Amino acid sequence: MYNYVLRRVGFMAVTLFLVTLIAFAVTNILPGDVALVILGPNATEESIATLQAQLGLNRPLYIQYLDWVFGLLRGDMGESLRFSEPVAALIAERLPRSLLLAVTATLIAVALSIPLGVYAAINQNEAPDVTASMFAFIGISMPIFLWGLVFILVFAVWFNIFPTGGYTSPTENLVASLRQLVLPASAMGFALTAYIMRMTRSSMLEVLSAEYIKLARAKGMSQRVVVLRHALKNAVIPVITVIAFQFSYAFGGVVVLEEVFFWPGIGRLTLTAIQSRDIPLIQGCIIVVALIYMISNFAADLLYAYFDPRIRYGGDE
Amino acid sequence: MAVEQHRDETGEDDGFLSESQKERIDNFARKFRSNTKAMVGLIIVVSLIVVAVFAPFIAPYGMNETSIEDRTQAPSVEHPFGTDDLGRDIFSRVVLGSRISLYVGFGAISGALLVGAVVGVISGYAGGLTDEIIMRVMDAAMAFPPVLLALTLLVVLGPELVNVVIALAFVYTPYIARVSRSAALAERNEAYVESAVARGETDTRIVFSEVFPNCMAPILVQGSLNISFAILAEASLSFLGLGAQPPRPSWGLMINTGRGFMETAPWMLLFPALAIGIAVVGFNMLGDGLRDVLDPKVEAIE
Repeated sequence: MYNYVLRRVGFMAVTLFLVTLIAFAVTNILPGDVALVILGPNATEESIATLQAQLGLNRPLYIQYLDWVFGLLRGDMGESLRFSEPVAALIAERLPRSLLLAVTATLIAVALSIPLGVYAAINQNEAPDVTASMFAFIGISMPIFLWGLVFILVFAVWFNIFPTGGYTSPTENLVASLRQLVLPASAMGFALTAYIMRMTRSSMLEVLSAEYIKLARAKGMSQRVVVLRHALKNAVIPVITVIAFQFSYAFGGVVVLEEVFFWPGIGRLTLTAIQSRDIPLIQGCIIVVALIYMISNFAADLLYAYFDPRIRYGGDE
Repeated sequence: MAVEQHRDETGEDDGFLSESQKERIDNFARKFRSNTKAMVGLIIVVSLIVVAVFAPFIAPYGMNETSIEDRTQAPSVEHPFGTDDLGRDIFSRVVLGSRISLYVGFGAISGALLVGAVVGVISGYAGGLTDEIIMRVMDAAMAFPPVLLALTLLVVLGPELVNVVIALAFVYTPYIARVSRSAALAERNEAYVESAVARGETDTRIVFSEVFPNCMAPILVQGSLNISFAILAEASLSFLGLGAQPPRPSWGLMINTGRGFMETAPWMLLFPALAIGIAVVGFNMLGDGLRDVLDPKVEAIE
């Protein structure tokens, strides 16, 4: 296990290096010069050249890259062109909001999907199972932003129970903040429910057919005790890893979802950065989102390896 | 019954397919037909393709036929899905929009298959350092959430439909490559590869004419599932304004416009949304069903 973790950490370092290369490369072949973006279209060639020299943009690319990477290591991501603020500060302000959304969504998904999955498994191939599976299939097949819009339409526009969007800090007004959190988090939670439910169902089915469950039944234990005390405990193990993967999926989905609900997290920050061609901010956002996405996938892999020894000893696949 | 007849008809050797190949195809067709999910998926996908191909004949109005006095009308006999803010017929636009979704779905995944399958199979067959380098590069591309990577690429390429295809092909290549690699890895130790090596065949020949055909099943399953992801991604990108541009009838773009008329004209949003749902369910079911049919070992969970 120890070796496995070390190897994976090594891989992650290599991947992270490649990620910085990709982020740097992509943003450096962007049409539109940083200096031109700052000075506007009426700038003279002379003033552009001066600013380029000031920003160090006339240096060789690899020097610029190294400079940027060493800055990253110190937590310095440069200054946003649009907001005239340090990129790191902007991200530090927005990131917790996105994490709040993704974590709440994952919790909602878990609360819905595990009981549903268990219920489907003990009623295998009967009406509740078929209904739950169909529900899961539709859940997977609709994009997260569509769930968001449907939820807005139903709960905000038609029934007027929750606000259509926006964000209030929980420290400022907890009730308003929670009310604004409900719809986006449920929309995303709903989309995640399907996968976790399917995994719970199949894992439960596998456990329920095991010898020790048959023994427990033969000893005359009630269905309730067998399912909840004996089966679920083991069935939930593979589900945990799926939950970890789903969290990273949720985090990846916030870019679109935040736009739907006007949620000022890192997703909307990325979009704003892209729309205003704010290169330092684009780079910063890409790196941070990729890093969190990688870390949660890595955690899922570790959990998977921890629970399934075949992975640990049989190489990295 | 139908299967038996089919057997009889093709029973004679027509010199085109070998006996065992015919048996495999028959076997596949029988399993496919008895798999409800695969059949429903196939019916949806074929219907979509038919709609897309004959779209100009099905759509009663042109996609940009505006009529100011008819704007934001509720669904009626004349306009079964209602009209939008410019008085365009939504039914016609949804029908014509199927072309965009399928174009992006098939286009992007064909690209991803072309590159991903070749790279993946080579990586799995070669092993060692080649494999290590290729897979680390693929990991790096997969370290980005798909929509974010596509967005970033579109910023560079510019918001055009063809660029959406290119960006999504790039995004899904590593997923195809990973599946192809593990398939090739499993085939590498098979007896037929050893005997080909013993016969002195070149690696290139072994990879492309021996290993590759045997890896097709999992690769195709992954491909058909990824088409649904690509359709979703196109809708998301167009929704964000970085995919198809107005006045193209992209479903994602229609939803983006409809969002502003949610209270007065919810049909502007509902029908394109429904279209996306149906298309994605179709490809998902087909992919899931294919997986059940081609590889009974793997459960239909991802």
